[in-house]
Formats: sequence, C-alpha cells, structure tokens
Amino acid sequence: MKSNRPVNLDLSTIKFPLSALASITHRISGVILFVGLIFMFWAFDVSLSSPAGFDSVKTTLQDNFLAKFVLWGMLTALGYHCLAGVKHIIMDFDIGVNLENGHTMSQVVFILAAVLAVLAGVWVW
Amino acid sequence: MLQVSVYRYNPETDKKPYMQDFEIDTKGKDIMVLDVLHLIKEKDNGMSYRRSCREGVCGSDGLNMNGKNGLACITPVSDVVKNNKLIIRPLPGLPVIRDLVVDMSLFYKQYERIKPFLINDTPEPAIERLQTPEDREKLDGLYECILCACCSTACPSFWWNPDKFVGPSGLLQAYRFLIDSRDTATKERLAELDDPFSVFRCHGIMNCVAVCPKGLNPTRAIGNIRGMLLNNAT
Ligand code: HEM
Ligand code: SF4
Repeated sequence: MKSNRPVNLDLSTIKFPLSALASITHRISGVILFVGLIFMFWAFDVSLSSPAGFDSVKTTLQDNFLAKFVLWGMLTALGYHCLAGVKHIIMDFDIGVNLENGHTMSQVVFILAAVLAVLAGVWVW
Repeated sequence: MLQVSVYRYNPETDKKPYMQDFEIDTKGKDIMVLDVLHLIKEKDNGMSYRRSCREGVCGSDGLNMNGKNGLACITPVSDVVKNNKLIIRPLPGLPVIRDLVVDMSLFYKQYERIKPFLINDTPEPAIERLQTPEDREKLDGLYECILCACCSTACPSFWWNPDKFVGPSGLLQAYRFLIDSRDTATKERLAELDDPFSVFRCHGIMNCVAVCPKGLNPTRAIGNIRGMLLNNAT
C-alpha cells in the first residue's frame, strides 16, 4: 500500500510568488541560451569560413525574419539571465533577502529585461 | 454558504484521489479554515486531517489552502478565499496517507540529519551553559520554527530532491545550531552539509519565506550557511 500512495503535486493548483516566477524564468533563459548558442557558434563558424560564408550570414541576418527572431530571442534571454544573475549575486551578499525586497528586486529584473528586449528588437530590426 | 472543495483519498476504497465539494454555513462569521474542516467532519465522519493545539503552536495542520501552504488553525477564511471558493489540498510533494494527512517521513529524516541538538565536548559546568544576550539574540528568527513543513513542501528544490536536499526547514534548524555559541561541532556540522545537494539546491526561489506561518526566513539562513561553507573552505 505504501508504495502507491498518491502525491499532491499539481503545479496548476499552487500559487507562486513573483520571486519564484523570476527563478523559473532564469532557468528557462539559461536553457534558451544553451540551445541558442549552438546556432550562434554554427553561424560564427560559417561566417569565418570564407568571405562568401561571411556574406551569407550577413544577408541572412539582414533579411531572414526567423534568423532575426532567433538573434532577438538570444539577446532577450541573455538580458534577462544576466539581470537575474545580478539579483542572485546581490542576494549572495545577504542584501534584500526577505519577502518584500525579493518581490521588488524580481519586479525590477522583469521590467529592465522587458526594456532590454525592446532595445534588442530595435537593434535587430 | 461557503463553497469548499477538499482533496479526498481513502486508500481502502479509492484508486485515485479526487476533489469533493461541500457547502459550508459559516454563519456569517470569519472562521478559521480548521473550523471549516470541523464543519465538514460533522457532515462526513471519515474526513481525515491532523490537528492538535488549534492555535498555531503545534504545527500539525499545515495544509495547502487556495494554493498557499499555511496552518489551517490560524488562517481566517477571509485571508485565502476569493469569490467564495475555498480549495483545501494536502501539503504538496509528500505521499498522501489519507485525505489531508501526508507521510512526513522524508521531512523528518532531513531534520534528523542535521542533528537538531546541542553538541558540546567541553566539560559540563555545574549549573548550565551560559550565553551572552548578544549570542542568544542570534537564535531569534530560528528557534521559533515549529516544524510544520509548510516551507519545505512549498519548495520546488525539495519536491525534486526530498532525499538529498535538506530543505528550508531543516536548513533553518541547521543554522540555528551552527551559530549557537554553546555548540562546539560547527566544523563537523558544516562538513556534513558540504556537498552539491544538501545546501546548494537552493535557488533563492523564496516560496519558503512566502508561506512560513511564523514569519521566519529560511532563504536567509541558507545564505548564511553558504557563507560559512565558503569561509570554511578558504
Ligand atoms: C550565455 C551564456 C550562459 C549560459 C548558456 C547560461 C546558462 C545557465 C544555466 C543553464 C543555468 C542553470 C539554471 C538553473 O539552475 O536555475 C544558469 C544559472 C546561472 N547563471 Fe547563467 N548562463 C549564461 C550566462 C550567464 C551570465 C552572463 C551570468 C551573469 C550575470 C549568469 C548567471 C547565472 C547565475 C547566477 C546562475 C545560478 C542560478 C541559480 O542558482 O538558480 N549566467 N546559467
Ligand atoms: S521554517 Fe516556518 S514554515 Fe518552515 S517548518 Fe519552520 S515554522 Fe514551518
């Protein structure tokens, strides 16, 4: 009987504070960066292979929506990931490790990341 | 009439847990969630949950109420209810024995692991081991923990690694003994925690701080332990 006991762990029934959403977004952005870097390295490799390769990467990044979107996604994920990383470092110095400041710092991270996302969009397009 | 939806599971008759709805007459009063459970028990004798002191001291009735962990006995319905609907589920992540009663073995195992008692290898004084008021103050915000498990069962890191990550409650207690001036086992205690899982699975999610019914701050205690581990290593 013991082994087949159910476990209540339906995430949709559980409320998460903003600091928790900031944390899971940090992990998601980390995974996006990891996967995205594969494409970035590949494009980097092609661009260094020959003058023709450099031109093809350049024109793709100028004309292809998908390529632009991937680049924008990378920059946005990087922006968020760095900001959340800085928040971690601040907390590592025992600054603002309480509910109110944790909430405020998460808000700041989300807002600045959104600003960076817009700036990245302007720059890419 | 308050609409209440409760997690039910009877291992003898149910294959799977399910949610059961009740209409509860609170007589217009802002009663505690534990009172709501008593009223449900009047309708259905089999309704199972833990409770003892009914005033936030014993830590028996930790539950998930409208998505947030807390003690049913000190949580007024008005604190959690929106749109007249109250959803009561067992603490997340632990095996359910019956209805709202969970198996706390893993939680207690982690508590046991941190050796929750003073260790002192100096000769015993005639009367008692004294502490300066300043040293005593360092225990404030730590000794108040009642082991209700609200924090650890709200922690994603504990959900995924309840056997390896000590969890917010256990680590708060670990810190309580690490900084006690009367304890001489600081080095040994730190050595026990110095691995990638016991402490370092904490990602500063802060669900523990958000739910602790005693207003304690396990995230901060964990940060302090990390600091001690780093200082110890250098
Ligand atoms: C572009 C390269 C990067 C990649 C691929 C990357 C990837 C990752 C991944 C996969 C994680 C694990 C997420 C988790 O455990 O929650 C992580 C965590 C982390 N990253 Fe990055 N990251 C990168 C750059 C950065 C930068 C520039 C910073 C500095 C601000 C940073 C700061 C952090 C911190 C502090 C954590 C720990 C988070 C935690 O303990 O929860 N990362 N990163
Ligand atoms: S730290 Fe707070 S929530 Fe966690 S077990 Fe102790 S009293 Fe309960």
